[in-house]
Amino acid sequence: MKRNSVVLGVTLALLAFFVWAGWANWSSRKWKTVQPHSNAAASSHDAATQTSDSSSLMGKLAPDFALQDLNGQTVRLADFRGKALLINFWATWCGPCRIETPWLVELQNKHAAEGFAVIGISSEGEELKPEDKAGLARQRAAVQKFATKMKVNYPMLLGGDSLASAYGGLDAMPTSFYVDKSGKVVAVQMGMAPEPEMEENIRKALGK
Amino acid sequence: MKQKSNMQSVGAVALLLCAVPAMAQFINERGPQPQPGKNSAVEFVGPDQIAVPAAKPTRVLLHFRVQPGLHINSHTPHDEFLIPTGFTLPEGKGVRIASIAYPPGRDYVLPVDAKKKLNVYAGDFVLDALVTATDGEHVVEGKLRYQACDQSQCMPPKTIPVTLVVTGK
Repeated sequence: MKRNSVVLGVTLALLAFFVWAGWANWSSRKWKTVQPHSNAAASSHDAATQTSDSSSLMGKLAPDFALQDLNGQTVRLADFRGKALLINFWATWCGPCRIETPWLVELQNKHAAEGFAVIGISSEGEELKPEDKAGLARQRAAVQKFATKMKVNYPMLLGGDSLASAYGGLDAMPTSFYVDKSGKVVAVQMGMAPEPEMEENIRKALGK
Repeated sequence: MKQKSNMQSVGAVALLLCAVPAMAQFINERGPQPQPGKNSAVEFVGPDQIAVPAAKPTRVLLHFRVQPGLHINSHTPHDEFLIPTGFTLPEGKGVRIASIAYPPGRDYVLPVDAKKKLNVYAGDFVLDALVTATDGEHVVEGKLRYQACDQSQCMPPKTIPVTLVVTGK
């Protein structure tokens, strides 16, 4: 009788483990809806689950900034006071950012009337100095070309690298911050996320 | 009674046999977790000591390894905005690279956009360099420039030093 109880206990424990392993597997596969052409990169991880200093901004006021747009005009975060925002840090060399950009255009169109705005901030990671006029001009031209090609319909700002410290490091692109109408960060998205997840974060920012 | 007990034992062992591969698959699935921005995505595997006949162009294979879970653009990415992988050696140190043959990249698609093909290096890759050295031992520092990503995010472009001790005999 005692032995039966032990066997039953072990069996139940194994069953519980099996269920957990299955769930964990499903969770880690959630992103992998399309198989890569080569198997070399098949062990890629789910970057969206990584912890980052950027997430320490959750619940805090989004740090203010003053950056130039593609027309050379200074744009401040304070200019968007009272709006729900998606602040998207991106780079021209970032493949996932290129995929995400048309979604941002669409989301801007869809939710603008509700008091929502997207702000794109280019962070090329080159840490160009203000005196490097040629470098800055090259960067501006690349961003301009990208924005034109992608038919970007939201403000595209330059010099995001200068905000790395204030925005938690910005170790990888894209990184997006969803800000509610009171200016508080309500969601942080590391890496590209599926469009429905972005919609959900926008609803949070809009207070829905 | 004894037969029932035996069946339970067999059942438990069978479950255990199923659970172990499941655990292994899970561990493999999660894999080593790269930390964007924390470590170098690419390491130079070798050789760091190279002997070549003096003044004679010689093929040297330089081995690199991309961190598991990451990929870098090949030397010829499909998109004009993407940063190609490139290797350079400084001039005037007694060692010269006449040419480098880069391996072809592998086509790769991100999970959310099957239409967009990238051309990448993942795992190990080898640069085939034609090296000429003058007589004697030379310590040179080459540079590998690359830009790494995983399935959903990218790290800024990076240049890592590649130190080579080249002896021309």
